[in-house]
Amino acid sequence: MLLSIALVLLAILGAPLFTVIAASAMIGYRQEGIDLMAIAIEVLGIAGMPMLSAIPLFTFAGYLLSESNAPQRLVRLTDALLGWMPGGLAMVSLVTCALFTAFTGASGVTIIALGAILYPALKQDGYPDNFNLGLVTTSGSLGLLFAPSLPLILYGVVAEISIDNLFRAGILPGILMLVLLSGYSLWIGRGTQKELAPFSWAELASALNAAKWELPLPIVVLGGIYSGYFAVSEAAAVTALYVFLVEVVVLREITFRDLPRVMRESMLLVGGILIILGMSLASTNYMIDAGVPQKLLGYITEFVSTQANFLILLFVFLLLLGAILDIFSAIVLVVPLILPIAMQFGVNEYHLGIVFLAAMQLGYLTPPVGLNLFIASYRFDRPIMNVYAATFPFLVILAVSVLLIMYWPDLSLMLLPD
Amino acid sequence: MSATTALVARLERWGTAAENAVLVMLLGALMLLAVGQIALRIFFSSGFIWADELVKLIVLWIALVASIAAARSDRHLRIDVISHFVPDRFARFPRLLVDAFATFMCGLLAWQSWRYLQLTIEFEETVLVDVPAWLAYGLLPLSFALMCYRFALLTIGHAIRILRPQSDTREAR
Repeated sequence: MLLSIALVLLAILGAPLFTVIAASAMIGYRQEGIDLMAIAIEVLGIAGMPMLSAIPLFTFAGYLLSESNAPQRLVRLTDALLGWMPGGLAMVSLVTCALFTAFTGASGVTIIALGAILYPALKQDGYPDNFNLGLVTTSGSLGLLFAPSLPLILYGVVAEISIDNLFRAGILPGILMLVLLSGYSLWIGRGTQKELAPFSWAELASALNAAKWELPLPIVVLGGIYSGYFAVSEAAAVTALYVFLVEVVVLREITFRDLPRVMRESMLLVGGILIILGMSLASTNYMIDAGVPQKLLGYITEFVSTQANFLILLFVFLLLLGAILDIFSAIVLVVPLILPIAMQFGVNEYHLGIVFLAAMQLGYLTPPVGLNLFIASYRFDRPIMNVYAATFPFLVILAVSVLLIMYWPDLSLMLLPD
Repeated sequence: MSATTALVARLERWGTAAENAVLVMLLGALMLLAVGQIALRIFFSSGFIWADELVKLIVLWIALVASIAAARSDRHLRIDVISHFVPDRFARFPRLLVDAFATFMCGLLAWQSWRYLQLTIEFEETVLVDVPAWLAYGLLPLSFALMCYRFALLTIGHAIRILRPQSDTREAR
């Protein structure tokens, strides 16, 4: 008990999470009289997990895209499509960021790659400054629910459920978030009297032409996955190779000299996630052997008996969890424990996945450690309190959408095959 | 002093270059192998049985080498409250504590996986049909040992900054 408290304290003080998890597993081994070298076997279990190769491959593709001029081309294309509408630019921001985040794995690169283009553009169009800051900060994790985002894949791997189905389940809830945020943007943008550029076929054709190399990407990847033609890991390999050929060989926006740096940069995150995954294989196996989920379930049923009440409890728990843990560690550590409990309350496993990720998306925006807040504060040189305040209305809207997703399971389950 | 500093600087450069080179090779191999398997499946409805296992081993190696790189760049996932809310001067003690803890844990992990490695050699375990398993798993103790070294350097750095606060300003320049 004392040791557990010490470990939690170390984690909060900022010890690398994988060392804390390793320590908790090894303490468990000691108590059960298991040889400590068993942890090596568990870590090697990384090599036994299916679909895991999708994580380094998609992450690499995403970093390559963000280092090229693809973000500019994407903004231009969406602007040509949506820019003529009132509130158009705000919607352009939301849609491009959502697409970009889905492809780059919600690691904060969206704010850096797209924010720099969108933030000044929004200002120029007369949107209030705090709104722009909040919008760009929020957009950094929007799109988390769309394929092929990293958290979706990781959730599928950890929960051992079909990633294809998870991709389907995320579509409508993701669109719900986009619609609610767009509605708010229209409301804010109603006062801006700036002359809107009319829709232009010529500009659309020209923007399409500029983006012609990237256009096949979503079609091949999403079409391939949703039609069942490609497994997720195969789609990831095709994406990585295709993006490499386009940005490095054809367009030459990233030089061969730069390639090792981009690869390293992208793999730092992957290494961080996978080593935590390896350690938590050890700790969760131990906890399941020790019957921790059953004990938790017994404890919880003393307080709540209905699914609705369980979901409220889950929502509060996930908000707290998201406020202190990053989404990747949270998936790896918590999902194996709450999945069996949620099943007892009759929550569908895919629905739970979408609820979990949607709620953890709020964690990017909640103090004290919301990743987006700090990236935006750093990137746009604004005090952190200012970013908190600017992001708050967006946080409220997203929280409402999480509750909707939670209590409307069909929204997630409608598109699943029977 | 200057000779050791030069040696450490050279080690750092070589280390980074080695990590990058290995990551480039592994990621390139992963892409080609995975795409190759798809091509074989589509055009010849076949594939290599060992290729799937090799893909998974490459993912393991990428995870380990990238962890070494993440330790060097101090980018392992942490709950980062301290650096945002505690003034730098007071953050040194908790940092010393947690990095010393990380050093100890990585050392322990290196030792335990070294013991396990010897066991796989003794039992002549194999991967990829008939390759000795220790070739594939040897990276495990090595990577934890390198991470241990990395966290030890961080810990020493914190200790120096606590003992000689004036060295901060000199480094800043």
